[in-house]
Amino acid sequence: MNAKTETAIVTVPEIAVVDEIKDEIDEVKTFYFRFVDEAAGRNFRIRSGQFIMCTVFGAGEFAVSLPFSPENDRLHLSVRSVGKVTRALHDLKPGDKIGIRGPFGNGFPFEEIKGKNIIYVAGGIGLIPLRSSIVHVLQHRDEFGRILLLYGARTSKDLMYTYMIDKWLKTDGFETHIAIDNPEPGWTKHVGFVNTLVERAGIPVKDTVAFVCGPPVMFNAVIRDLLKRGLKDAHIISTLERHMKCGIGKCQHCAIGRTLVCTDGPVYTYKQIKTLGEQI
Amino acid sequence: MNILEKKKVPEFMAALAADYDLYGPIVHPDSKDVLFDRAADPGDIALQAPIPYNPAKIPFFPQRESILGYTYDRSTGDVRIAPADLVRPKALVGIRSCDLTGLLCLDRFFLGQEFVDDVFRDHRRKTFIVANTCVRPFPQCFCVCTDSGPSAREGFDINLTEAGDVYLVEAGSEKGEALVRKLELPAADEAQTALKDKIVDGSIALFDEVSRENKAWISRATNRLTTGFIRNEVWEYIGKQCFECGACAFTCPSCSCFNIEDLNGPDGTTDRCRTWDSCSFEGYTKMAGDHNPRRPVEDRRNKRFFCKLSYSQSRKYLRPGCVGCGRCVRVCPGDIGLPTVVTAIRREITE
Ligand SMILES: Cc1cc2nc3c(=O)[nH]c(=O)nc-3n(C[C@H](O)[C@H](O)[C@H](O)COP(=O)(O)OP(=O)(O)OC[C@H]3O[C@@H](n4cnc5c(N)ncnc54)[C@H](O)[C@@H]3O)c2cc1C
Ligand code: SF4
Ligand code: SF4
Ligand code: SF4
Ligand code: FES
Repeated sequence: MNAKTETAIVTVPEIAVVDEIKDEIDEVKTFYFRFVDEAAGRNFRIRSGQFIMCTVFGAGEFAVSLPFSPENDRLHLSVRSVGKVTRALHDLKPGDKIGIRGPFGNGFPFEEIKGKNIIYVAGGIGLIPLRSSIVHVLQHRDEFGRILLLYGARTSKDLMYTYMIDKWLKTDGFETHIAIDNPEPGWTKHVGFVNTLVERAGIPVKDTVAFVCGPPVMFNAVIRDLLKRGLKDAHIISTLERHMKCGIGKCQHCAIGRTLVCTDGPVYTYKQIKTLGEQI
Repeated sequence: MNILEKKKVPEFMAALAADYDLYGPIVHPDSKDVLFDRAADPGDIALQAPIPYNPAKIPFFPQRESILGYTYDRSTGDVRIAPADLVRPKALVGIRSCDLTGLLCLDRFFLGQEFVDDVFRDHRRKTFIVANTCVRPFPQCFCVCTDSGPSAREGFDINLTEAGDVYLVEAGSEKGEALVRKLELPAADEAQTALKDKIVDGSIALFDEVSRENKAWISRATNRLTTGFIRNEVWEYIGKQCFECGACAFTCPSCSCFNIEDLNGPDGTTDRCRTWDSCSFEGYTKMAGDHNPRRPVEDRRNKRFFCKLSYSQSRKYLRPGCVGCGRCVRVCPGDIGLPTVVTAIRREITE
């Protein structure tokens, strides 16, 4: 859908059925879906890092990342209930229908980072947009060096996808360090903000790229510590979030500086982010 | 070039009205205010009236418009999606060159980028444009500074230029030529054809005398915004002046920010509506948890002027985003219409 064709009708959503709903953490559910029209399903080709606009009929539309890998992974969304539309989504039952427009956005630059070590740094539900990248990279394990996930959340109950992390750990050369903000009875892993893991984990610096995603405070602290360790700002990759309405570069809600997150992003390098001239 | 006698204008309007809904400058009978609106009667269009208070983008990009309709019956799972097909053929009659340039900006923006806005495209495909040369500028005009007037060079089907008892008629498209043929308008003679340039030159010469309210010599300001650095105090000053009313964006022929909401009707259908919005509103960029990356008001002001004078240049319109109509000056309660801001930036350069 990215080619500029006169007939690209991107304002009309494609209809999908939600066929399974899984509770993740408090306020977050995962919605597995499939397209009603099989041809639409076949044509739905995504790049890791892209997003879609999801219609909850009768409520509205919102932007959401695609956490599945482009290759043989079930179609799903993981969504936190924060407002009108996402609450309505959380009220759905299996069998209900949703609308999907997209995919939109640029996606992660895998070609450029072949052969490198990868560090994922995620805070809270920031792991959702990184999931597709992790799965993709693990499916192409031999094309990359060390793969490290640094993941933190407020409490142990706020950690997303822990059952998946356990599975990923079975892949050769996948390491992870997990932290929560404050001590909890029974917690034996690290306590502290996720950026403190950067120091602790002894991350590789040479030939390394970092994917960072999380709330703005966490993002800033992590970037600071990664740069301190010697990572280059062109090798720090993040997905930015903005209030979005059209998804196709017209409404301007997602503008940051000269760029639009929906069409120029959502994936940016820190080198680019620095030049945007606005808060993240 | 052809000739339309003034007494034949009603015939011209009637010919258009046969195929299109007519929009144009209409003088309100009581207040004498000029508004750009749908004409109930073709005779209501006032070609001689000053430039309307509101911009000519309204028929293509209405303040509120349904862009999609759907019904969803949850119990049966039946979804019906109907793209809104409410677009009627329209003729814009008597639009000034500044407004027409604003429209061409919107064309590049909505149609010429990675994605095409198909709703806007439908509007544009069913449009006939009759431009009207400004034979005399109005007090708030500065199109000579923004290269957008006083006479249109492109984008019209017909262009009219008043010359005594007649209008000089130029057809700018097949559709325009067809209308000229249909009305059997006589060809202009050599003297009449030569008149056009003289009239336009005369109009430009009047700017010094008549359009005294605004000047916005924007190229230096644009240059400075794009390449240089503008002291934060300038933005703070501008930010403090702004009331966040959005009037500048709503009256600007090239502003295009919008919001989208799904509105449920009593009959079980939902309308996906788009409405004008403005980057100067505080809620424009608000996110969950009250995070607002663009909270300070000077950030938002700065955004609009960057958009008009800098971002527009590089990727949206291939020209400045301001077309010199002067409307924002007229409506802004904070006295920061675009020319004021340009002046503030220029003053900083010279200081
Ligand atoms: C590229 C992208 C990917 C995203 N991926 C995910 C994802 O995988 N999972 C997920 O749960 N959420 C994701 N989001 C955030 C999600 O879009 C918002 O939470 C959602 O739009 C809120 O809609 P709502 O109608 O429920 O809330 P509203 O009723 O519209 O608003 C509730 C609050 O959320 C704010 N809000 C609106 N849009 C956003 C936004 N984009 N980000 C943050 N706050 C917002 C509102 O201003 C308000 O304060 C993503 C956003 C973007 C731009
Ligand atoms: S700005 Fe120029 S084109 Fe617009 S009304 Fe004034 S003189 Fe005419
Ligand atoms: S910025 Fe002001 S003067 Fe310029 S086109 Fe818009 S409303 Fe007219
Ligand atoms: S018209 Fe003036 S006060 Fe109102 S939003 Fe625009 S700049 Fe601010
Ligand atoms: S979401 Fe509308 S411009 Fe990006």
